[in-house]
Amino acid sequence: MLAADEELANKVAELASRRGLTVRQTVNDILEQALRVEEAGISLKEVVEERWMLEKAQEIGFTFVPEHLLYQVVDAAYGQGGKQLSDTWRGVGGWYGKYFSAKTDKPLDAFKEAMGLLTFGASGFSLDKQKDDNLAVTCVSERFTEGFTEVFGLFIEGVLEVLGYEVSDREVSKGIIKLKLVKRR
Amino acid sequence: MRSQPQEDTKLLILPTHLVDRLKAIATRQGVSLSSFAAESLEQVLRADEMDASLSEAVDAYRLSEMQRGAGMVDIPRSSLNHLIEKLYPKKGGDLKRVWGEAGHWYGEYIRAKLRPEETLGFLEKELLVAWNLDEAEVKESETDVSVRWVSFTMTEEFTELLLSYLSAVMDALGYREVERDSLRGMATLKYTTIGAQ
Repeated sequence: MLAADEELANKVAELASRRGLTVRQTVNDILEQALRVEEAGISLKEVVEERWMLEKAQEIGFTFVPEHLLYQVVDAAYGQGGKQLSDTWRGVGGWYGKYFSAKTDKPLDAFKEAMGLLTFGASGFSLDKQKDDNLAVTCVSERFTEGFTEVFGLFIEGVLEVLGYEVSDREVSKGIIKLKLVKRR
Repeated sequence: MRSQPQEDTKLLILPTHLVDRLKAIATRQGVSLSSFAAESLEQVLRADEMDASLSEAVDAYRLSEMQRGAGMVDIPRSSLNHLIEKLYPKKGGDLKRVWGEAGHWYGEYIRAKLRPEETLGFLEKELLVAWNLDEAEVKESETDVSVRWVSFTMTEEFTELLLSYLSAVMDALGYREVERDSLRGMATLKYTTIGAQ
């Protein structure tokens, strides 16, 4: 016997009903599948988390691209005229800022989540709320090229400006983005 | 003395034939059998809320692992489209070449990582999920492989580059392109095994 939280047990019962199975068959089936995953050396939680992240990434119009290819393309475009490219990345950031605002009442959290998808574990990203609702943002990756660091920084600024922040301090150099932002009153 | 279940808990019957395996995994993870079972139920319910079976979630996990291993990053398609549109008029040839090189490298990577019978099925999922296409199909027959994909939002330039990338992937997997029919955001391709008549 497994003593399960009532809400969890009710959800299992609902699932069983949708599948036209008994609760017992459903529990049996779920645990059998879970065991197969865990016995293969994979964490079930990570599996489901990854599936969720992929769904989110697709939903918000992301695409995978080889990292070095992205940097090559950004650097080439940056060399051809940084201003227009900068405006575009800031504009795309602004679009995402509006999207997060419309989609959720916690757009900053949604943005942090999206940055987890964007950086895909390849870089260190942190967004900390400070006194008076101010923000400190850091994004560091040894792999970022100079051009990519610049436009990616503008993308972050674009998102946060739409969310009601103004950049008060900016330090951007190859592979390092450090921003301080104040809440607009 | 056995503790009584609390009022906000319900008892679920665990099948005896799974209990030993559950205990073994739970012990290895340093948690109780109940915690492990409850966590498993929660995760499967979460996958179900996403309309995904556990096997689909495992496939997605393996796909992400491969992408990560191959040095892929996730970026907004609109930013990439803009970059490509900006560069394509002057540097279209160079872009096709570097996308081809990247595709060839990726093809070699998946060939090294997967069993031969897994590669085409994996490629189909990769096109659909990683490249965020609306439809993708990779079909193998006795004599050839046909690939069809559709994206309602892809630009013409992006389509051309993805074609260069894909053909290079297929080349690395041992297939030569013999037919191509493409429009903006849409392509139908046919490949034969390299060395086949």
